[in-house]
Amino acid sequence: MNLKNCYNFEDFRKLAKKKLPSPIFHYIDGGADDESTLRRNTDSFNDCDLVPNVLASVGKPDLSTTLFGRKIDMPIFLSPAAMQRLYHPDGDRASARAAEKFNTFYSMSSMGNNTIEEVSNISGGPKLFQLYVHKDRSISDDLIERSRRSGFDAMCLTVDTLVAGNREKDHRTGFTTPPKLTLESLISFAMRPQWVFNYLTGKKFELANVKKKTDKGTNIAKSVIEYINEQYDPAMGWKDAEYCAKKWNGPFALKGVMSVEDAKRAIDIGCTAVMISNHGGRQLDGSRSPFDQVKAISDAVGDKLEIILDGGVRRGTHVLKAIAAGAKACSFGKMFLFSLAAGGQQGVERLLQNMHDEINRNMVLMGCKDLKELNSSKLIYRNRK
Amino acid sequence: MNLKDCINFNDFRKLAKKKLPSPIFHYIDGAADDEVTYQRNTSAFNEVDLVPNVLRGVENVDLSTTIFGKKLDLPFYCSPTALQRLFHYQGERAVGKAAQKFNTMFGVSSLATVSVEEISSMIDTPKLFQFYYHKDKGLNNAILERVKAAKFDVMALTVDTITGGNRERDLRTGFTSPPKLTLASLFSFATKPMWGINYVTRGKFELPHLQDHVKEGTSTATSIGNYFTKMLDQSMNWKDAENLCSKWGGHFALKGIMSVEDAKRAVDIGCSGIMVSNHGGRQLDGARSPFDQLAEIVDAVGDKVDVICEGGIQRGTHMLKALSLGAKACAGGRLYLYALAAAGQAGVERALNQYRVELERDMKLMGCTKISDLNRKNLRFRKT
Ligand SMILES: Cc1cc2nc3c(=O)[nH]c(=O)nc-3n(C[C@H](O)[C@H](O)[C@H](O)COP(=O)(O)O)c2cc1C
Ligand SMILES: Cc1cc2nc3c(=O)[nH]c(=O)nc-3n(C[C@H](O)[C@H](O)[C@H](O)COP(=O)(O)O)c2cc1C
Repeated sequence: MNLKNCYNFEDFRKLAKKKLPSPIFHYIDGGADDESTLRRNTDSFNDCDLVPNVLASVGKPDLSTTLFGRKIDMPIFLSPAAMQRLYHPDGDRASARAAEKFNTFYSMSSMGNNTIEEVSNISGGPKLFQLYVHKDRSISDDLIERSRRSGFDAMCLTVDTLVAGNREKDHRTGFTTPPKLTLESLISFAMRPQWVFNYLTGKKFELANVKKKTDKGTNIAKSVIEYINEQYDPAMGWKDAEYCAKKWNGPFALKGVMSVEDAKRAIDIGCTAVMISNHGGRQLDGSRSPFDQVKAISDAVGDKLEIILDGGVRRGTHVLKAIAAGAKACSFGKMFLFSLAAGGQQGVERLLQNMHDEINRNMVLMGCKDLKELNSSKLIYRNRK
Repeated sequence: MNLKDCINFNDFRKLAKKKLPSPIFHYIDGAADDEVTYQRNTSAFNEVDLVPNVLRGVENVDLSTTIFGKKLDLPFYCSPTALQRLFHYQGERAVGKAAQKFNTMFGVSSLATVSVEEISSMIDTPKLFQFYYHKDKGLNNAILERVKAAKFDVMALTVDTITGGNRERDLRTGFTSPPKLTLASLFSFATKPMWGINYVTRGKFELPHLQDHVKEGTSTATSIGNYFTKMLDQSMNWKDAENLCSKWGGHFALKGIMSVEDAKRAVDIGCSGIMVSNHGGRQLDGARSPFDQLAEIVDAVGDKVDVICEGGIQRGTHMLKALSLGAKACAGGRLYLYALAAAGQAGVERALNQYRVELERDMKLMGCTKISDLNRKNLRFRKT
């Protein structure tokens, strides 16, 4: 199996599994507890159906939209994801370049391995910075300031990670970062010499953006769960979010909003967008899926906020359904991380090309010329009246 | 396993799988993306239950129905499907003759491998021609004239293939027509020698309706996805459909209607029937299933045009349910294609007969003696 046999999520996932040491594969692949929310995030798309219109002479549909004040060529983008150099030696450089090529957003995690400055030097494409509020407030202030100076377009504050989720796969594999070679994981690493070679010969592994402020995540082998629990401030409240929004003073989203009520409060504190997300099912298992909730949120605040559906997206038709239900755009994490692991920048490009082609094809089959035509009249929920 | 062990849809499917080289089997068996719609097309029937009436005196059951002004002895017919001689060397000849035997309609694809002239000289029962609207208008006219001259009864314009669906099984097997022997597929072809011998010795493979106009489909190997995307006219619109309808001048249908809105427009442009269909789940995955959408469409236009429920049908009871909702007839592709692959004309006859027997039995169990006895009082939806 290689990159040119990858047509869909499952193919990229399989190839990533082949290439990555198992603790690292499972860190991407796993969710919280019994992973029921993880599964529901994707399954929820199957409870409703698209109803196409025929003979609409669509020609070449326009897939572009504007998001965070920037025009993007298609309504999908890359979610922020931590530590991308674990998945491929090029890390964020690969994903940022691939996103730029398709003129859509790349997002940088607070826990990235490449610096804000480095990525902004190599990519002029749309860029979103993802913030965690650290207990040490000067860390957050510093990240906001540097993102601004480096020309990032927008910022999102993740609000669903006050404590780490119970990712049982990580407990079992002993996933730490930087990876610690336990006896159990040794075999898995040993069987993937290419990964180990790249990891050891590449740049030193570090949480590049926070390393001056904390030695955590760099010197000591530490599990992500411990890192989150030590560094992030579980007392973060609406006031803190408002502080960040004001300090950033540009397009700003809360990432991880799930209730209509919270979406309304996001308007009050000056947000321009919300990312409806349960962190890809990695935090609170049993929580509602973004797609199940998107219509209610969009009905309530869709005229005031840009609604982004984050989580569970695997197909072009999922994106079509999300947009018909009221989202402005979709983002995804696991899918692009697998493609990154499978083939670096080329892998992410292949994924984005596949998704572009799927969305394009399905717009034609739906008889829609642009995303505005994709409204709620095109969607029927099976068990709702 | 052989033909006489085949007593239902799945048996025919299994036997077909045994007989066909795998790229060809998967071309029939596969659908778009994750095949969610493909599965839903059939599972939708399970969300509604039949409620029988007893003590009605049901010894004589009449299964006949009239669509497009033609009386059929069965309330279901064979949907048009492409490339039938790839599935069995008898191809359209087998399906046409079997349909004639049961006096039901035979749908002939634009991508048929036997000519309309031959088919019309072979059978005198109702025939439908399925039209693909090509970029090449000369080709469109030529086909229309030939079909007219061959005295087909119905013309159905397919409207759900404006671009090729994402059939990932075909991408993996490298399915093309005519089959290209890649190294990967060679093994599969080699292990099915009978298919290979028949394919090579039973006459040249061709697409008689296209071959004078295009190289696609005859000598050069092309994929079906490519054919849709490269040769069909993506700008096709309602005006074009209306023009075609009046040029044809006879019974005309749109195949692949899913929305109420479009069903109404079909009436306006002069259609006498519509096939509620998503192309057997082979095009837009995530699309609604025909059975889920049927009631709304029947309510809107059922008194003006013949509404046909097409796709997902594997059982007599599936047909009973669709007919109870108000469909005038049912149609399907795979319900006879696996049987064709399994055993040619004898296979198709066996399949059609089994659906007939099932329907007759189920009608009796329902307490109904004619199709018009079926109505929505026979049905309960589990969730609303
Ligand atoms: C390996 C991995 C690392 C992630 N790291 C972060 C992160 O650092 N910050 C963040 O806000 N979200 C993070 N996420 C969550 C993603 O941004 C996104 O919400 C999630 O992946 C969406 O679900 P999907 O994977 O089903 O597309 C991470 C997700 C994965 C799979
Ligand atoms: C192998 C195969 C080939 C087909 N070829 C055509 C075709 O050439 N033209 C067309 O309008 N529909 C074609 N169809 C769609 C069928 O007419 C019909 O809509 C579909 O098979 C119904 O779904 P079912 O197979 O579940 O009964 C094809 C379907 C299959 C399975």
